[in-house]
Amino acid sequence: MKDILAGSFFILGGLFSLLAGLGILRMPDSFTRMQAATKAGTLGVGCLILGVAIYFADLGDSTRALLVIGFLFLTAPVAAYIIARAAYHIGVPLWSGTVIDELKDSPDRGIGEDDQIMRGAGGAGAQKASASDHTTPNPEPATGDEPRTPDHDPDDPTDR
Amino acid sequence: MSAFMWNILLAFVWAVTTELFTPTNFVIGFIIGYIVLWFAPSVEGRRAYFLKSWRLVTFLFFFIKELVIANVRMAYYTISPLNRMKPGVIGIPLEDLTDSELVVLSNLITLTPGTLSVFLSQDRKTLYVHFMRVDDPDKLRSEIKGSFERRLLELTR
Amino acid sequence: MTADLTMPVVLLDAIIGMLAFGIAMSAIRLYLGPSLADRVVALDLIATLSVGMIAIYSVKTSMPVLLLVAIVLALIMFLGTIAFALYIQKGAPP
Repeated sequence: MKDILAGSFFILGGLFSLLAGLGILRMPDSFTRMQAATKAGTLGVGCLILGVAIYFADLGDSTRALLVIGFLFLTAPVAAYIIARAAYHIGVPLWSGTVIDELKDSPDRGIGEDDQIMRGAGGAGAQKASASDHTTPNPEPATGDEPRTPDHDPDDPTDR
Repeated sequence: MSAFMWNILLAFVWAVTTELFTPTNFVIGFIIGYIVLWFAPSVEGRRAYFLKSWRLVTFLFFFIKELVIANVRMAYYTISPLNRMKPGVIGIPLEDLTDSELVVLSNLITLTPGTLSVFLSQDRKTLYVHFMRVDDPDKLRSEIKGSFERRLLELTR
Repeated sequence: MTADLTMPVVLLDAIIGMLAFGIAMSAIRLYLGPSLADRVVALDLIATLSVGMIAIYSVKTSMPVLLLVAIVLALIMFLGTIAFALYIQKGAPP
């Protein structure tokens, strides 16, 4: 019984990890890749480790396994947020099929001089970085991403 | 939170009296202590404790549900043709949130359906979120505000 | 540490294969990735999947001690990613 439960969590986790790998290779721009990698990777490995916790069924080992889940679910989204912010900041282009970008026109997009992280680092590097803060992101499309016309069907089942 | 302390104490007493210090037994003791507290009117902060714990449980279930939906949808996007996607970045206005509430909210947004928090404006009033599929920006905005933010604020305030 | 393995080894090998496939895909992305951000995401995914790999391996060899390695890797991975993100944001030091 315990093994069946653990085994099904293993299979689920393996499938999600597979999908994370496929997603990161197949998605067209950095942000969609981040979505695929963060979500599928975190839940996939989370499922695997939950299976391990069920499998060992021992106070110490299961607690350690649950601790790994806790760390993953706390750190993975924070890491994704920081990479996404940095990527947007240096002007990594969005996919040509992107329909709306409210951040581009927003007045508060640059990471300002009073930013916490920048202040912590200090020095000449911080000066140099803040000078180039308010440049607009690169409007040219990605080199590797050929433009596609986003035609979508209205009866898409996953559409909200 | 003294009602919570009482609950821990009751669980501990249960574990001692049954002479079985396994986590399962401790959880059973915790549940029994919870039921006992339900009938103990004199413990202070009891009502708030029950309300909070109920909200915490429903929040956890809501989160797990959203997480599973998110991954099924992500799987769909991964294996279907790319032109099913209509990604976009949308700004979501926020209430006055504390630091920890912001962390929890942006983590939730990142882990749930087709959304990834990208940027928080400097006045902490707007969170820019990358969506996998944007059809109606205003509808998505009100969805995030209505489900995630409302539930989180119910839990913490 | 020689508890009996009650799980079919074929299943565990299949899971390890899936994880290895995921890692291979992210390695290709690490090689291709047009921007630095893509490479960091790929590295992050490789580290995450390695945590899962270690966990499965601890089941396969019946060595739960390996879970400690998984904890350490999960923490170090986060630090590495944050450092890379700051590097992306600020560019190379002068």
